[in-house]
Amino acid sequence: MATIREKGYSHWAGTLCERRYPWWPITRTGIRLAFRKKAFKFVFAMAFVPSFFFLASIYISERLEDFKALVRSREALISVTPKYFNEFFTLPFFLFLIILVLAFAAAGLISDDLKHNSLQLYFSRPLHKKDYLLGKMSVVFFFVLIITALPGLVFIIFKLIFAGSFKFFLDYPWLPLSILGYSAFLAVFFAFYVLLLSASSKNTRYVTILIFATYFFSDILFGILYETFRKPAMALFSIRANLQQVGAFLFGQKPRYAVPAVWSFIVLAGICVLSAVILSRKTRSVEVIK
Amino acid sequence: MSIEVKDLSFRYGKIVALDGVTMKLSEGAVGLLGPNGAGKSTLLRILLGFLVPERGEGKVLDYDIRRDLAMIRRSVGYMPESDCFIAGMDAVTFTAYFGELSGMPRQEAMKRAHEVLFYVGLGEARYRLLDTYSAGMKQRLKLAQALVHDPKILFLDEPTSNLDPNGRNDILELIRDISTNKSIQVLLSSHILADIESICGSVVILNKGRLAAEGRMADLRAINYSLFELRLKGDGEAFRKDLESLGCRVDEMEDRLIKIYMPEKSDRMDIFRAASRTGVQIRYFVKSQTSLEDLFAGVVGVD
Repeated sequence: MATIREKGYSHWAGTLCERRYPWWPITRTGIRLAFRKKAFKFVFAMAFVPSFFFLASIYISERLEDFKALVRSREALISVTPKYFNEFFTLPFFLFLIILVLAFAAAGLISDDLKHNSLQLYFSRPLHKKDYLLGKMSVVFFFVLIITALPGLVFIIFKLIFAGSFKFFLDYPWLPLSILGYSAFLAVFFAFYVLLLSASSKNTRYVTILIFATYFFSDILFGILYETFRKPAMALFSIRANLQQVGAFLFGQKPRYAVPAVWSFIVLAGICVLSAVILSRKTRSVEVIK
Repeated sequence: MSIEVKDLSFRYGKIVALDGVTMKLSEGAVGLLGPNGAGKSTLLRILLGFLVPERGEGKVLDYDIRRDLAMIRRSVGYMPESDCFIAGMDAVTFTAYFGELSGMPRQEAMKRAHEVLFYVGLGEARYRLLDTYSAGMKQRLKLAQALVHDPKILFLDEPTSNLDPNGRNDILELIRDISTNKSIQVLLSSHILADIESICGSVVILNKGRLAAEGRMADLRAINYSLFELRLKGDGEAFRKDLESLGCRVDEMEDRLIKIYMPEKSDRMDIFRAASRTGVQIRYFVKSQTSLEDLFAGVVGVD
């Protein structure tokens, strides 16, 4: 152990201030810690692969003459309409990539604090429970929004640039709002979903598995129940299907499953409420065993 | 008074952790002493607002423990008993992070983190990942994060637990320096009597959630009883019963040394009279200086 080399303690001359956003240091630190993981950087980069393909498609859609040979059989795919955006945002692979990014970046957000007893350090500061949770959630917001809202808005900008006119924007002026709305919805849902699981265990690896397992199990359950009962309402058991239903609604498209999108919204909102209740109980400075 | 509580009570389910504790703590280093489960950590947690008392009230630096939590937490540095850190961080980032959460500007927090890490002896290891720190280094780190925002009071919960003798001495030396030279009040919770005895000017002893004794160490030693140590030849049991009937507490140590805690108003000759009555010979007799251990034994019991 290092010996005490310096006794130079001096009082701090500054004044402690009340922060407008006390949760911000938590968010910033959470994001920085995620980027310190080498594997995460690779996964994060991977998450933009679908965006590049869709962006390339937008370019091709404006240069059909140049790419005639390539797009002859896939003309429908590169018709850039709200449906195109709905396809991008509700692509199962895209949703899987979001889960993958969050499994690396957010699984340990609360579970690490539980494991290393650091909650009591947070709450010995002038910090409320809501600040702590908002700080952790904002880490998820950051990653989800950067994977969803950013490419979505970039698509619109590039569509306008490639087209050289504002026609697309004038045809669908509500589309940026749909993109922002659905991205925000995904961010909020995944924040509650991931933090709920993160608070359920002190073992981050176990949480990582849970994040994938819960998502895929809900899908498998949907498959089994659908095969058994042949009712589209069984889609309500699947997280993926519910997200797709809400996405279709926000982009003004026909839902994939013959179930009102509002039901899916209620199911996902229910998960968020349940998560909020459990998070509120789990995150406290002292673990009181009665 | 920097800390004042009145009729403070708290229970974990059916288990009473604090039962009507009333006390006023003076300036300087104060020891919070008691056996495991006495309610020391619970008291610290109530003072920090981690737990809401079932009954009673309290103030820390004139801030109410129910209403002014943010102000209390700004003014108090807390070093918890258990190991706590954030995986994947180095010590500078960790310390600055908690400085920032306390309300320090980011740059200031970083500068201050370097200073306190040097102060606690982690200067050279400040860029190492916390996951690789030893138990002693983690203790120092906890002290650093408690000091980073320059608190007026430090709550130290078992600061020397899990430390080897050298590490323990180092931490105690730091705490002594903080409490004597840096004008920071220290509330040191421990069940290690020697730690408190070496640092604190006053002590609060809790036992089974109740206040067992409180005051300046010197006063507590003086007012309660006189302590005598002796060795006997003969039937010690009858002698013990005789003395106990006179209001004395008699404890036999492993080496057959007998300690007699005698009410201060009693006469020491009563011991010799009891020996004469019960037919035992006193082979060794000395009036002992009461230590905190004796005081603790007197109010809590040696078992």
